[in-house]
Amino acid sequence: MADKVFQREREFTKAYQRHINDHPAIREAACLKAQYPGALGPIEAGDLFAGRIRPAAVGFTPDEWGQTAFGYYHLPARFKEVLQRSDLSPEDRAEIEAMLEFWSKENTSTKVRARYTPEMLEVMPSDNWMNEPGMVFPLYRLCGAYPNYGKLVTLGLPGLRQEIRSAQENAERAGGDGELFAGMIAALDVLADSCQFYADEALRLADTAGAERARELRIMAEVLQAIKTEAPRTFREAIQLMWLYSIVADVRNYGRMDVYLGDFLAADLDGGRLTEAEALKLLQSLWQLMADRNTRVHGRVIIGGKGRPNEANADRFALLAMEATRTVLEIEPQLSLRFYEGMNPALMEKALEVIGEGRTYPILYNDDVNIPAVEHAFELPQEEAEQYVPFGCGEYIINHRSFGTPSGVINLLKCLEVTMRNGVDPTTGERVGLELGDLSSFATFDELFEAYKRQVEYLVDFMAMQEQMEYEVVGETMANLYLSMLYDDCIERGKGIFSGGIRYLGGTLETYGNTNTADSLTAIKKLVYEEKRISPEELLAALDSNFEGYEHIREQLLAAPKYGNDDPEADSMAVAVHEHVCHTVRNQREKTDLHSYLVVIINNSANTLMGRWTAASPDGRKARVSMANGNNPTGGMDKKGITAMLNSLVKLDPAIHAGAVQNMKFSPELFTSNRDKLQALLKAYFDNGGAQAMITVVNRGDLEAAMREPEKYQHIFVRVGGFSARFVELDRDVQLEILSRTLY
Amino acid sequence: MHGMIFDIQRASFHDGPGIRTTVFLKGCPLRCQWCHNPESWSFEQEVFYNHDGTTQVVGKHYTVDEVMAEVVADRAYYESSGGGVTLSGGEPMAQFPFSLALLKECKAQGIHTCMETCGHAPTDRYKAILPHVDLFLFDYKATGPDHKRYTGVGQELILANLEVLYEAGAEIILRCPLIPGINDSQEHFQAIAQLEKKYPRLRGIEIMVYHNLGNDKAKRLRRDPALPGLPNPSKETSQAWLDALRELGCEKVKIG
Ligand code: SF4
Repeated sequence: MADKVFQREREFTKAYQRHINDHPAIREAACLKAQYPGALGPIEAGDLFAGRIRPAAVGFTPDEWGQTAFGYYHLPARFKEVLQRSDLSPEDRAEIEAMLEFWSKENTSTKVRARYTPEMLEVMPSDNWMNEPGMVFPLYRLCGAYPNYGKLVTLGLPGLRQEIRSAQENAERAGGDGELFAGMIAALDVLADSCQFYADEALRLADTAGAERARELRIMAEVLQAIKTEAPRTFREAIQLMWLYSIVADVRNYGRMDVYLGDFLAADLDGGRLTEAEALKLLQSLWQLMADRNTRVHGRVIIGGKGRPNEANADRFALLAMEATRTVLEIEPQLSLRFYEGMNPALMEKALEVIGEGRTYPILYNDDVNIPAVEHAFELPQEEAEQYVPFGCGEYIINHRSFGTPSGVINLLKCLEVTMRNGVDPTTGERVGLELGDLSSFATFDELFEAYKRQVEYLVDFMAMQEQMEYEVVGETMANLYLSMLYDDCIERGKGIFSGGIRYLGGTLETYGNTNTADSLTAIKKLVYEEKRISPEELLAALDSNFEGYEHIREQLLAAPKYGNDDPEADSMAVAVHEHVCHTVRNQREKTDLHSYLVVIINNSANTLMGRWTAASPDGRKARVSMANGNNPTGGMDKKGITAMLNSLVKLDPAIHAGAVQNMKFSPELFTSNRDKLQALLKAYFDNGGAQAMITVVNRGDLEAAMREPEKYQHIFVRVGGFSARFVELDRDVQLEILSRTLY
Repeated sequence: MHGMIFDIQRASFHDGPGIRTTVFLKGCPLRCQWCHNPESWSFEQEVFYNHDGTTQVVGKHYTVDEVMAEVVADRAYYESSGGGVTLSGGEPMAQFPFSLALLKECKAQGIHTCMETCGHAPTDRYKAILPHVDLFLFDYKATGPDHKRYTGVGQELILANLEVLYEAGAEIILRCPLIPGINDSQEHFQAIAQLEKKYPRLRGIEIMVYHNLGNDKAKRLRRDPALPGLPNPSKETSQAWLDALRELGCEKVKIG
């Protein structure tokens, strides 16, 4: 019999409603039972491990599914779709409509928003940060869980079950709350059932598969049967368990994988149970599953770094992981290599080989800078700082010990824009910010800068409050069973991760437009206040008309010093803007219950999306154009070469925020013919205080784009013959010639 | 004292060992027909008339301190790579007092120095500058009367300076621009091979394969290029040059 329409959603909703007044752990366990195995996707051709995801229109996730869907989520678009079907029976329609009605009040995001104070609603009138102008927006989600995969693969399901049971007995003996543990046991049952589900499916598929595939599927089934009842004994079993856990728990970052899989790998290789080639094949399959999961901004696998007890075995795994990344041409996992002075040099050599092939991975993290930075930013002892892990786009947290969801975005350039116009957003004409006067009313540059700072500070208070509220709602309504069982302290304390269980509950705020704000302030300071070449009225008129008829003004603004050229004037402004927002945000730990609240300067498309809603700016940027990426220079404005750009980057203190991404592009030629110089370049950058590097090796597409939009590609240098030149300064035919060569 | 400079290129990977900052001095006594930096000929400021209608001033006065401020910023990169500063041009020897002062200051600050030179300057100046240059990138452009024909000056002084520098123990890499149909003759190749034999302590010989990007720059300076329409040599051609030189016994030659 075919499933009823929205069958999975109905079962989930019923389970939730049945337990609506129960302990959150019990309700959640019932919901997980309803959600799985329905939300598991089929095993696909070539998979060596089971575990694919197929989210329903209603469900539970510790992360997010879409812009505001997190926790107990619903996807209104999917409801709309099904309600448009003409073959829907009146009963079905009524039931689905009732479900939609129920979830639109009961979903977690709505509960968070319902808690906002009137002032917060005024500051954050909209959630739609992609499609509406605004200075700040909330993001509804939990993000960046790093559970203890090591504990998972060491104890296995039976070991975990035992640990939870004894904690439950202790709690009950002491007259305490045993329900959290009962929920955890039920969640483990769901995981074991999922093993069985996939084992059955694998055997079913094996019946009709060719001999070789049938063999693979039978092995898969055996592995799933084994981990259902026993702790993993092999590399393969350990991978299967971590992977299936990550799917069922919906956790999207995969931890310090070399630490928790290194010993399994070494034992299998040394024991003759697995060859290097077979091990690589397993990882390639895992990598493909991660890629197909398409988390977009997550999918982190961490390798290397300090604080690895089994360094030699971990290094073996790390090398294999990089080879998997070299050979599986996908954008996930986001393989991330932590390194430090004295680490096995083979790792960095392999990393540069893979990056040089244009993979963009591994992303490089410098422990010698990051560990002290994390110690300071998070106020943690060194041993804990050594366990930092970047998640998502690049926010740091402490492995299975802390959380740092980015729950809000702030557009600093919009803040400046509003400040220059006495609180009015020029893209809408509405008053949205504090009224502190307009540009002509500030007698000195310092007055303007102070007004900008007040505008930002006012907003940040609300963002921190909002983050805390989000965690409160989560803590009251869910137990996050899968996270709680693998996050330090939760079992010992007998508390859900967000109900007092986690050791360090922190948050982060994503800042955008940092560089454009700094460059704008530099230009205003120099041209309006110091040299008085442009009057405040003239500047505003030029910006309001998007420089039309004011080209001469724009030329002057563009010619003002820009961040990214090792220029003291421009860079000191970038430092001032950076330190202001970082300290303002970090000081929120005094005003809230959060252990830390830190800026993250990351890289995703928000610089472009928010740029669309940002007017022309005094750095010469036109209206609606992308803002600079992270704290990198505005594209094409770093004209002094890579060393000057890197020198600018390291001026921004990394010890007062939770991560910033440094994007850089290199030519493939530099990687092949000048590997030693490239290595020296990176070494000096890291010795100078560089915290990380995301390296793109420029490909044909970039050079073609450089020909179409040369002003944005100033930094591409090429070897022409016996000399070098800036690519964009070459004749077209020279460019074509280089273009054809670069491909080889 | 000021120097007239038309570019300071940081993170330069091809003007000597390691990662370097290359300082391009404006003004040159030669007029090589294949010159890819025609904006370096005049000692005065000039203007590029770009194809898109914009203009761009070429050349700016710098004090030694101003150049040094930019140079020292990349010290960590020199140290990690074995790099340093390279004076290029134009012809650095043509702004002798400034180049000397700049090189002295680099050495005083412990920075490795290279100088690219065409060899055409009074010999006593080479003697004076020698202690402050760790490595010369010394051009060898043409042989015999061709030299005057294609560069505007004879070769005698240049060869004498090479001799003086070599005998004084200078570190030298010979740089040989090869231009198809102009100086890729057997006679010139033989002369290069003889130099290698004559000066066994040469650090290397680099072929600088012709590239026609100077033509467009000349047009932007509103001048007529000397070698219009000369195509860039193919990979095969440059390989054939290399083979020919090897054939003649050149062991240190490579494509730069
Ligand atoms: S010596 Fe160099 S700069 Fe001077 S004309 Fe010849 S190639 Fe050009």
